[in-house]
Amino acid sequence: MSVKRKGPRATAVRVATYALLITVAIIVLFPFVVAVSTSLKRNTDIFTYPPSLVPRTVTTVTDPDLGLENATVYELPGSDGQFALVESDVPVAEFRRIDDPEVIIALPPDQGVETDRTTVVDGDEETIYLVEVDGSEVEVFRARLTVGGLFQPLDGEGDSESVVELVNLATPERVFGPRFENFSQVVTEKNLGRSLTNTVLVTIAVVVGQIVTSVLGGYAFARIDFRGRDRLFLLYLGSVMIPFVVLIIPLFQLMLQLGWTDNLVALIIPFVFTAYGTFLMRQFFLGIPKEIEEAALIDGASRATTLWKVMVPLARPAIATLATFGFLYAWNSFFWPLVIINSGNPDNGLLTLTLATLGGRSSTDTNLVFAGAVLAMTPPILVFLFAQRYFVENSASSGLK
Amino acid sequence: MVDSISTEPAPVALDAEQPNSGPAQGLRLVVGWHVAGAAASVAMMLLANRSGDEELPATIGVFLRVFAAASFAAHVAAAVGVSQRRRWGRTVSLVVSYLVFVVAAVAAVHQLGGFTAIGSLGEGLSKAVVPFIVVAVGLLWVLVAGQIGASRPAAPGPRQLRRAGWVVTGIGSAWFVVAADPTGMLSAFFERIVQPVTIATLVLALVAFAATRFMWNREIGRIFGTTASVERTLTGLAFLSPNLLGFLFFFAGPVLFSLVVSFYDWKTTGTGRSFIGIDNYVEALSLDFASASAPGAGVEVLKANYQVLMHLDWFGQNWVIGARDVTFWLSLRNIVVFLALAVPLSVLPALGLSSILASQLRGMKIFRAVYFIPSVAGVIGVAIIWGQLFQSTVGWINYLIKRAGDLLPFVDAPDQGQAWLSSNSTALLAMVIVFAWMSFGFNTVLYLAGHQAIPKELYEAAEIDGARAWKIFRRITVPQLRNTTFYVLITTSILALQLFDIVWILSTPQPGGPDNATMTPVIALYNEAFKDNNRGYASALAWVLFAIIFVFTFAQFRRDREGATGGIA
Amino acid sequence: MSAVSFSGVSKRYKDGPKAVDALDLDIADGEFMVFVGPSGCGKSTALRMLAGLEEITDGELRIGGRVVNDLPPGDRDIAMVFQNYALYPHMTVRENIGFALEVAKVDKKEAKQKIEDAAELLGLTEYLDRLPKALSGGQRQRVAMGRAIVRSPQVFLMDEPLSNLDAKLRVQMRSDIIQLQARLGTTMVYVTHDQVEAMTMGHRVAVLRSGILQQVAPPQQLYLEPANLFVASFIGSPSMNLITSEVSVDGDVVTLSFDDHRVRLASGAVERYPGLLDRHGSEIIFGMRPEHFALAGDIDVLDEQIIDVDVELAEAMGAEVHVHSTLDVPPVSIDGEMLDPDDDSLADGTRIIARIDGIHVVAMGERIRLALKTHLAHFFDPADGRPLR
Repeated sequence: MSVKRKGPRATAVRVATYALLITVAIIVLFPFVVAVSTSLKRNTDIFTYPPSLVPRTVTTVTDPDLGLENATVYELPGSDGQFALVESDVPVAEFRRIDDPEVIIALPPDQGVETDRTTVVDGDEETIYLVEVDGSEVEVFRARLTVGGLFQPLDGEGDSESVVELVNLATPERVFGPRFENFSQVVTEKNLGRSLTNTVLVTIAVVVGQIVTSVLGGYAFARIDFRGRDRLFLLYLGSVMIPFVVLIIPLFQLMLQLGWTDNLVALIIPFVFTAYGTFLMRQFFLGIPKEIEEAALIDGASRATTLWKVMVPLARPAIATLATFGFLYAWNSFFWPLVIINSGNPDNGLLTLTLATLGGRSSTDTNLVFAGAVLAMTPPILVFLFAQRYFVENSASSGLK
Repeated sequence: MVDSISTEPAPVALDAEQPNSGPAQGLRLVVGWHVAGAAASVAMMLLANRSGDEELPATIGVFLRVFAAASFAAHVAAAVGVSQRRRWGRTVSLVVSYLVFVVAAVAAVHQLGGFTAIGSLGEGLSKAVVPFIVVAVGLLWVLVAGQIGASRPAAPGPRQLRRAGWVVTGIGSAWFVVAADPTGMLSAFFERIVQPVTIATLVLALVAFAATRFMWNREIGRIFGTTASVERTLTGLAFLSPNLLGFLFFFAGPVLFSLVVSFYDWKTTGTGRSFIGIDNYVEALSLDFASASAPGAGVEVLKANYQVLMHLDWFGQNWVIGARDVTFWLSLRNIVVFLALAVPLSVLPALGLSSILASQLRGMKIFRAVYFIPSVAGVIGVAIIWGQLFQSTVGWINYLIKRAGDLLPFVDAPDQGQAWLSSNSTALLAMVIVFAWMSFGFNTVLYLAGHQAIPKELYEAAEIDGARAWKIFRRITVPQLRNTTFYVLITTSILALQLFDIVWILSTPQPGGPDNATMTPVIALYNEAFKDNNRGYASALAWVLFAIIFVFTFAQFRRDREGATGGIA
Repeated sequence: MSAVSFSGVSKRYKDGPKAVDALDLDIADGEFMVFVGPSGCGKSTALRMLAGLEEITDGELRIGGRVVNDLPPGDRDIAMVFQNYALYPHMTVRENIGFALEVAKVDKKEAKQKIEDAAELLGLTEYLDRLPKALSGGQRQRVAMGRAIVRSPQVFLMDEPLSNLDAKLRVQMRSDIIQLQARLGTTMVYVTHDQVEAMTMGHRVAVLRSGILQQVAPPQQLYLEPANLFVASFIGSPSMNLITSEVSVDGDVVTLSFDDHRVRLASGAVERYPGLLDRHGSEIIFGMRPEHFALAGDIDVLDEQIIDVDVELAEAMGAEVHVHSTLDVPPVSIDGEMLDPDDDSLADGTRIIARIDGIHVVAMGERIRLALKTHLAHFFDPADGRPLR
């Protein structure tokens, strides 16, 4: 597998391999692309069919001659160019071709010439009309009389004729136009800013706390041969088997007793003590040659000095790993915050919580929700990309050992 | 012995602690402290006996009494041990004083509102975002400068750079304090610190700390004839203690408490908190099978309190299966289906992709990174995205299926967009897709680690034998990755069994919907615990779920012990 | 006062045999003491107990008259050089050397001076601001030394400090350490498995085996008057040839027979080992160092002190030739252990090595006549390994 082969067959295999990898990469990345594009869209632009990746904006026109101000620019079926709606609620007849009833021809009612012939469409007898389309006469029947809009062409001369059309057939002209205000809007109007700072605070506190307790505990387990150590370690090891769901009710009860519900402290203190982090640090400390520590002890350093001045600087990679894992955990955690931050006070919200509420079943402002989601996802992805080394090395050993 | 000691000059550390007194004097004070502690424990015991606090359930009352008794015994032992200069006396005294110090200090911080003040910190932070960023940049600056300096320690440049970083951090911090405006917090602090309870706990903490410091001293240790082994045990426990105490208080204790609660009819509303033995478990797990003469028979054929779970047609015989907690059983059924679909879907692609990524082709690291992204992006954001993708009218999934139907004759695209999330038949499948999409990248990386453990010689030998790529994959890669596969399967299953967040966001019209089609055990548990406030019953559900998960954990544990490390070294 | 005294010091690991068994040893102030022995003999454990890195199970250990059994390493006023140097990888040479001073809160100026003096002494001045990874093996070794001497401790402890160096550098460092110790006059306890190092460096050498002290003596005495079979075989390279022989005593004439050979011992041998006279008819172990052989023509000996052997291997070393041959006598074991378990040839006979003058050309397969300088030989009791003095 390590040998680079040549020849047409090998090339074909390689092309197929890359094609597969790229396909999977597209499957992975496409939702994120959709997210970014949606976060830059206008809300009306999201619910259009077919879906589009391009954030678009409706073009408008201001023409005092026609009395238009920021009027939407439309495109009409069967007509080239841009139009503006100058008058609504004009009477309009919806004609359909005899030979192809799917084709709709919308005209002022007086432009159809009634004949005395009839035809049968879907079991109904319909009178045949003659209308002029592109200079030729077409036989049509009148499906209904309704009201439509009077559309003024924008590109032609002032005397070019306005067109009557059903309003639902007129599509607003859209051009590329990202809406960056979504981000500032979600941060200020939806109170996501406060959630963001709360999340940052909780994340930093959890990461720092985890590092402190894990370094101390991991060092004790790895390097101090105290009585009862192995039994305690087994206890820690066993604790990994207990899933969080078992803990959630009693922990909630405990927070209730402490008066910590609906407070950020409930998201921090209980998660500062981590068996996993303790293992990670213990494993790393075990890997540092014992003599280095002994040298420090002989040099007269106390255990604490040895840990701080010798072991911790050497354990930087492990600490970085622990920090990245702690960051991801704290930043993305949802279940516990959902349980404990339960008053609905937006000032105690976390990003995940606020987003879940915003993007919930009764959500409006999908564009803002997506802007929030992009804001929430960017930091962990960036952290991952920068700290990849630690992930790839340690994901494998994260579970056990 | 004591006399000979007291004639020696007091060590320096003692001077600071106990001015104008030798170790003997200090030890007398320590004995006094323990006697006082024992007396206080008795008082606490009496208090616990007297108080008929409605809010305190019996278990906590018992706990308090046990705690007081233990505290009394420990203080007495410490007082005796110290006054008789027993070796264990110092150890007991140290442990007791230290624990009292920790408890009192935590209580003092609690009294001062130090913990809940963290919530206000969020407010301060939101008021001072810009200075906070300055502080962060400053710290990052210092870190980077330190890294540069580490490789070239002699160069003066990095050191100056580092100093500049600290300056930036300092300015940022000062600005932060001003912007965050801690005056409100400070005034609250001063308001609380004058309360008698706060002062009492603070004093207790200080006394216990002083006693700990004094007894910790090596010179004192020598008076008690300490050995290196004792010193090491004390040091080890001291280092572990922050971790261990937190672990016991926030993990081990609650877990035990949860087990206790699961045997209670424990509702937060009303006063009923009675011990009901295993009734919660019976309620959760009871099933009833009844044969019915006609299909579609209902509750009438089942025992009382049972609801219809499902109908079965077994060789022409109609069966009705009933359960007392239908929702929970449905959630179990769902999670089994979910496991059966989601686990293969997130493991098999990982196996295949990892085999490609393990080759030395160019760009593999990039693909690896890309595949990993979904598992770090955060489940809430991801679920929100997929909610939009699954949208029935304008969602991308339906659109792409439609386009595929236009292009490919064999894809039969429905005219009407599929309502993925609101249709009973597809809602769970949608969850499967999101779960698999999120987790396969992580599994791929796990597999990659397994690949590294496969000896390259195996591949070389197979190539010399003329084996083709597929054969090599089948006959070498897959068997060699057996342990990794086992590990990946187990961890993915454990994760899948606790499915919550994805469903919480995506399911409609309520979590677990439609019609419980996506109800998972954890959502059922959440509803019981926090919607219906059935904490006792929900705890029982948690332990049932734990038992199921434990089957998987135990399998992995057994395998690890057999020496197969799962290629995860 | 920085004498070191072990009295009855033992170390027992959990459910294991004693790693060090009742060690009694007094090391004088300023003495260079070497602990030597095969791996697992307890020499490192003894050193680590002295350093405070291992607990003492039993007995009393004193440094400078003070009992240090329960003192932590930092309080014992010792310095140690480890086999792998154990330099702090994240600190520069300066920081490495100065760490102990920093911990002891020595005045910064004074510390700087001390560090620079130590660096000067060891020729490290230009490397002071480098990290250990940027140094060569020898330089790292010197940094480890610098870290030790900067503290001016009462005792230096060195645990195989030269074993990670190449042969040439090792010789160089050996003499450097000797000179350093002589100049500083500090008590030194030096652990090595290399008996050449032990012989060349120590004022006295302590030979250990299976946790038990075998002999403590100045190097030459160790070589000339080994206290037992183990010391005899361990000290010297190539090691002493040990041949199981039968004694016959006829008046004051002692004759040894082994294989097909009968060797009459010189009277000097019997004078040195009068115990031989009581061993008529019993087996003893006949110890001949390689240099106790010569080609028959080179020295003047009795015919009964010449044996004919087949040359199996002749290693020309320049000044001398090492002649290997095998005698058909059962190999010697000490307490059931083969002396050299790696040497398969011992299974079916006793391999002997003779060191003869380099001017001779000896070919493989040749049969040569070896003269035995029996007056220099050693004789041991096969049961307890004691010399037959």
